[in-house]
Amino acid sequence: MNAVDATDRAATQEEVEAPSLLTIILDTNPHAWALLADSLPLSKAVANLLVFINAHLAINYANRVAVVVSHSERAEWLYPTPADATLEQAHSNGDGENGNRAGTGGAVQPPDDANKYRPFAQLEYAIMTNLQRLMCTTTPAAISSAPSTMLAGALTRALAYISKQSASTNPTTTATTHFNYSDPSSVAGGNSLNPSDDTTTTSRSNQRLTTRILIVSVSGDLAETYIELMNAIFACQRLSIPIDVLKLAGDPTFLQQAADTTNGIYLSLSNPLARAGMLQYLMFAFLPDAAARERLVMPGEGEGVDFRAACFCHKRVVDIGFVCSICLSIFCEPLADGTCLLCGSHLSMANYGQKPVVVARPKKKGKKKRVVDGGVETPGSGRETPAPG
Amino acid sequence: MASDQEYDDQSDEEETGVRDGRRRTMASRPKDRGQARWEEAANRNWELQEGADGSIEGVLGGLEEASKRKRLLKDTTPLQRGIIRHTLLVFDLSSAMNEKDLRPTRHLLTINYTIMFVREFFEQNPISQLGILGMREGLAIRVSDMSGNPNDHITALKLLRATEPKGNPSLQNALDMARAALYHTPSHGTREVVIVLGALLSSDPGDIHDTIKSCIRDRIRVRIIGLAARMHICAEICRKTNGGDESYYSVAVDEVDYRQQLMSITTPPVLRATDTEAQKQNQAALLMMGFPSRIVEEKPTLCACHGNLTRGGYLCSRCKAKVCNLPATCPTCDLTLILSTHLARSYHHLFPLRNWVEVPWSRARQKGSTQCFGCLSSFPAVPAQYDGLENGKVGARSKRAEGASESSRYECETCGSHFCIDCDVTCHEVLHNCPGCQSRGHVGGGEEVVDGG
Repeated sequence: MNAVDATDRAATQEEVEAPSLLTIILDTNPHAWALLADSLPLSKAVANLLVFINAHLAINYANRVAVVVSHSERAEWLYPTPADATLEQAHSNGDGENGNRAGTGGAVQPPDDANKYRPFAQLEYAIMTNLQRLMCTTTPAAISSAPSTMLAGALTRALAYISKQSASTNPTTTATTHFNYSDPSSVAGGNSLNPSDDTTTTSRSNQRLTTRILIVSVSGDLAETYIELMNAIFACQRLSIPIDVLKLAGDPTFLQQAADTTNGIYLSLSNPLARAGMLQYLMFAFLPDAAARERLVMPGEGEGVDFRAACFCHKRVVDIGFVCSICLSIFCEPLADGTCLLCGSHLSMANYGQKPVVVARPKKKGKKKRVVDGGVETPGSGRETPAPG
Repeated sequence: MASDQEYDDQSDEEETGVRDGRRRTMASRPKDRGQARWEEAANRNWELQEGADGSIEGVLGGLEEASKRKRLLKDTTPLQRGIIRHTLLVFDLSSAMNEKDLRPTRHLLTINYTIMFVREFFEQNPISQLGILGMREGLAIRVSDMSGNPNDHITALKLLRATEPKGNPSLQNALDMARAALYHTPSHGTREVVIVLGALLSSDPGDIHDTIKSCIRDRIRVRIIGLAARMHICAEICRKTNGGDESYYSVAVDEVDYRQQLMSITTPPVLRATDTEAQKQNQAALLMMGFPSRIVEEKPTLCACHGNLTRGGYLCSRCKAKVCNLPATCPTCDLTLILSTHLARSYHHLFPLRNWVEVPWSRARQKGSTQCFGCLSSFPAVPAQYDGLENGKVGARSKRAEGASESSRYECETCGSHFCIDCDVTCHEVLHNCPGCQSRGHVGGGEEVVDGG
């Protein structure tokens, strides 16, 4: 049949690009944003983000986006709108029938505007409404008492959502590293024993959902939730989800390591001039997906990464640390009394900086007869280097 | 025939009992014998009870959830574990491994599983070391040396595929070679030997009990996975070297079970307080480790580990020698070089996430949860006819499989959020964080919820 008119119909399916899910984690720590208020207020940053999201959705019809906000004492979904938010909205609008469409993000209806592309309008309305609701329900007590931001919580929620979406979109996930627990023959690290044998060349790969995470961060100190943050970063590494980081303010701490471990991009905008061009940085660095990134020169490749650890006792950054073998806590100097600060176990101190073992020189009896310098016997084996003068 | 008549009488009496799922069609089976082990795996489609609305969707979903959760329910109390591990894997390369009861042959399947095991082991225990030995023709042979690099082991295992197993295994020779390999390991790490034994004999040159005594003296813990049948000597070795614990010897019944047992070894072993030898030698030590940073150079320079010209790498914190990848031991000054992320990989073993509990309909109604907290997928609604039913009547409704929650909700006891089965599996196996606990910080003197979960 194909030979009649010489067209090849079978290959059209291969040309469709794989859909991509972009999850954005927005750090809305009020203290940090207040410091940036003169150069980049939060409203302007959100506006830039919305343009970026629209661009991402416009690239491929099947692309999707999800937005989580990491506030000072909680992590909430902005998009898709969670169910309890929809119910509140419905009640406040006096409209009861929309309350059942939970989690789809479509229950929150934007005002009709014929000039706006409908998906963009829906998304923008949902995000702005939810963000306003979040800000209105923040109490002063929450801001003053909580740690800086709940980034670990936001990352965990995003990951749970991503893994559910990937599982529902890719029913035959034998090629990904996502562990399929129902299948007895699946294994962590992929079923194929050769790690480079990635089945992205199969025709089903076009429907596979590729996912990535973008973190827009302004806060510095994340040491409170170190363990949870590390767990989330390793989960991303295992699921092959790149974490891109756009740092507007604050210390890099662990986000640079996160981006490096997961093959993401780390960009830091340190001066107000750079921050004013936030949209340009977003578009150039973070818009291309994983397939395009292989062919482009991405920023941040040529720089080294600071991997040094912080000690548990003084929070100082150390090059050489002393590690407790029971609880793996890092200290900057050998402990005074030999007791680990965290687990309380008694530790034996090894001999640090020990001198290398010297092999004893064999005594050569025959050499004593050597006469040097007019008959005076030189002591020793005579192998010393002659001193000048 | 008398026996037939007896059988007929029995079958008449028990017609009403047929529906509870026991097969009584064979005359030789005694009345009160339970299900055979192989029968548990059999799929009994005719026994599924229909739900109130005539559909079996609820029951099928329940079966799926139960099978997913089966792997999760293990003890999650935080115990002290040996994180720095020195493990030796001993293969049986005797003629018994040519059997085809595990497809394609026991030998090939073992090698395939071991390659997966090596990858998972180094992912879960990045600062540990692994070595591989084999038992062949009465001798113990070295397949790969103790090292922290998974690729060495994987190449050696791939070469092993080409060799043919023959001869008899010798447990004593394998244990002696393992003891020699583990002799120089430092005392703060664990010393483990894992033996995969497919044969039903061991041909040893001397008295294996002397070897067992010396293993106990050297604090080596032996674990054996049998492939054929249970052997007394294996049980004795495992029991004596683990201080009386019987659970370290197990026999795999099929491929799935075999793989699960092999993968369960990647979890660090629990350290015992009753181990008096360990107390005397004071296992815990303060280790000096370096945390290098990555550098990128303009011009290529030689690396200290291979002698290759590379443009980047890590500089040793003490002597500034360049190494290619971590974790490594500096070739110049013998300092252990690691990243803090390698240490962080093991934290989830020390602070495991607590198990979540099933949510009955009453609690679901009380909490009013409609969506999974983690992934925003919707739960089945609380059925209207539940109103007015007490707890006693719950059993009369169609019960889902054992282990699955009737409302498809699973609750974290610390934060009270409800999750679906997929989030339960993901959070416990991959993430090790609870989204609910992490998303709710304490506000102004509230309860501290930021724990290790």
